[in-house]
Order: sequence, then C-alpha cells, then structure tokens
Amino acid sequence: MTLTQRIDDPRPLLELSGIRAAYGRIEVLHGIDLRIPEGAVVALLGPNGAGKTTTINVCSGLMKPTRGIITIAGRPVNGATPDRLARAGVCTIPEGRGVFPNLTVRENLEMMTFTGKPFDRIEAEAFDQFPRLADRRAQYAGTLSGGEQQMLALARGLATDPALLLLDELSMGLAPLVVEEIYDIVGRIAATGVSLLVVEQFARTVLDVADLAAVMVHGRVVQVGTPDEVADELSERYLGGKRKTQLTMTAEPET
Amino acid sequence: MDENAQRIDEFKKEIADMRVRPPEDSAERVWLIAGLVLPLLGLGAIVLGWWGASGSAYPADQLPYVISGGLLGVGLIVAGAALFVRYSMTRYMRFWLLRVIYEERAQTDRTVETLERVEDLLRAATRPRAKADQS
Repeated sequence: MTLTQRIDDPRPLLELSGIRAAYGRIEVLHGIDLRIPEGAVVALLGPNGAGKTTTINVCSGLMKPTRGIITIAGRPVNGATPDRLARAGVCTIPEGRGVFPNLTVRENLEMMTFTGKPFDRIEAEAFDQFPRLADRRAQYAGTLSGGEQQMLALARGLATDPALLLLDELSMGLAPLVVEEIYDIVGRIAATGVSLLVVEQFARTVLDVADLAAVMVHGRVVQVGTPDEVADELSERYLGGKRKTQLTMTAEPET
Repeated sequence: MDENAQRIDEFKKEIADMRVRPPEDSAERVWLIAGLVLPLLGLGAIVLGWWGASGSAYPADQLPYVISGGLLGVGLIVAGAALFVRYSMTRYMRFWLLRVIYEERAQTDRTVETLERVEDLLRAATRPRAKADQS
C-alpha cells in the first residue's frame, strides 16, 4: 500500500501521481504522490529544500513536471497554463506574499476586478474577513506589516472565488501570534468548503487546521496521515528517534 | 455552503471544458509534420540535383550535384519517412491500447452486471427455502 492510499477519497479535487520535476538537469521532485480531497485542508510539511514550493508551482501550472500526471477534478491538466488554471479557480498565494508594494490596499484589491467581480463586492468581502485592512485602505501595501501584507495577499486570492487554494509558507517572517491569527483565517476559509494545500515549515500551527498532513523530504513524500499521526512522527524525528530519513525541520517557531 | 458547492461544481465544469494539450503531444505533432515535410524537401533536392547535373555532359561536373542533390535528397526522404512511420505508429498504438482498455472495462462491467443478476436470482431462489426451514 502506498502512502497516499491512506487518503481514501476516490475522487480527490487535486491529485499528483508520480510527479517528477527538475530545474535544468537537477531533479528536485522524485515521484510525488499526493491527494487533496474535496473540501479538505492538506498540510505539506518539510524542511528547506524538500521540494514543497516546487510542488506548489507544479500544481499551479507554473512549472511543468518532467514526468507524472496532475489531475484536477478528475481531469489530467499537465499541459494547462497557469493563467487558465487560475481563471478556472486554482489560486496560489506565493511565498513572499506577492502584493504590489507601491499600490495602496484599495488599488491592490482593485487589481482583482479582472475576474469580473464588482470592486464594491471585492472590497466589502475583503474588509469583512480582514477588518484590519479597512483601516489601512489608503496605505501603500509596501508599508504594511508582514501580517497585514499576508492578509492582503489572502484577500486578493479570495476575491477570485477559488475552489482550490495553494498557500506557500504563509508564516514566513511573521511573529508567532500573527501566524496564529492568519491560520485562524485559513481555518475559516476551509470551513467554507474551499480545498487547501498549505505548504508550511511552521508545523504545529498548520496541523491545527489541517485534515491531513504530508511530510516531504528530499523531493519525496515520506509520510501521509492525520495531523496527530504526523505530529507524533515529527516529534520523534525531531527528538532523534529511529528514523530512516533525517528530518531537520522545526516543530516550534524559530526565535 | 450551498453557494460554495455551486462554485465547486462550476470549477469542475470549467476544468472539464478546459482545452488541454499534453506537452508531449505538441512535440509529437512537430515530429509528425517534420516527417511529412522532410521527404518533400528531399524530392526538391533530388530535382535540383538532376537539374544541375543535366546541364553538363562531364561526370566530374555532375558529381557535386549527385552528392549534394541526390544523396541529400535520399537522406531527407529516408529520415522523413522514418519519423513519419515512428510517430504514426505511436499514435496508432496509443489509440489501439486505449481501445483495448475501453473494451476490457466494458467487458468487466458486463461481467459484473451478469454476476449481479445471477446473484439476485440465486438469492430469490433460496429465500423461500430458508424461510420454510425456519418455520
């Protein structure tokens, strides 16, 4: 039985089968198998260089896999362009937030009217979910705090009405309290039925909101299970149990 | 939540309607076109070679035309034909394999349906006896 068969959903919203991906001649994903069931939050954990961001890039169509099949809603989409996937409802919040620093919060939100959604509605929904942004509406995004920028990035992503949300390292560079606040919001988003793949090194926080978790090491998924199972395993790995693969990720935020 | 279920359905429909060409398919198409174009270029090279060679009665003058026109032309025709056969066969074999899989699945479905019918008949036939045994 493969690791991913533990997720029993026969028709996952996103499925990666035997995905291999390379930067030039250097292969970084060595056959990833992963399933994101419909409406589930799947946490993808792993140390730096494990291939988590590459996995997100493959899922969003930004990077073409050299082998393997990406299936979304039962359809192989290997050749799909990232913009086509984004228009359909696959939304990626990249590492480093991806907001326009020299535009105001309102202008950043206004950019999302390309979806055809009225600006008033985008703004109302964004400020409803992230009240703090309402106070900063006229402020340049580059002058916001890290947490507020992340909220703005999320608000922009949610304006596209995503069905599948890919979040890359939301906690990067944020204080633990802000990370908790952000993940509360992620939990609320998940409750609306959006499927989420969350790439994270901040293991403990993301496991609180995840339905399933997968651990990646050296371009391979080495474990898939419930957050509790993975948390136990992570602790063992962290404390140096009888492990075949060395995993050097932190279960606690770095200070 | 209902609104979101509707959104998920829309998403699935959009993905299903999406025109996606597998990356290997585009490369395959290029090779197949090359397999058609190369023999034509080869024929052109042979015609040009013949035209050049026919302008002189001396074999020493004709030889460069034979080499650059005739041999190149034949080479292009052979290479083009090889590409065409290789990629046509790949397409045909893929189609054939898919057809076999489809047929096998249909056959399996028919077998399962038949077994289910047999099972239902057997259950129906044994039920009265079981009731009779109990009474």
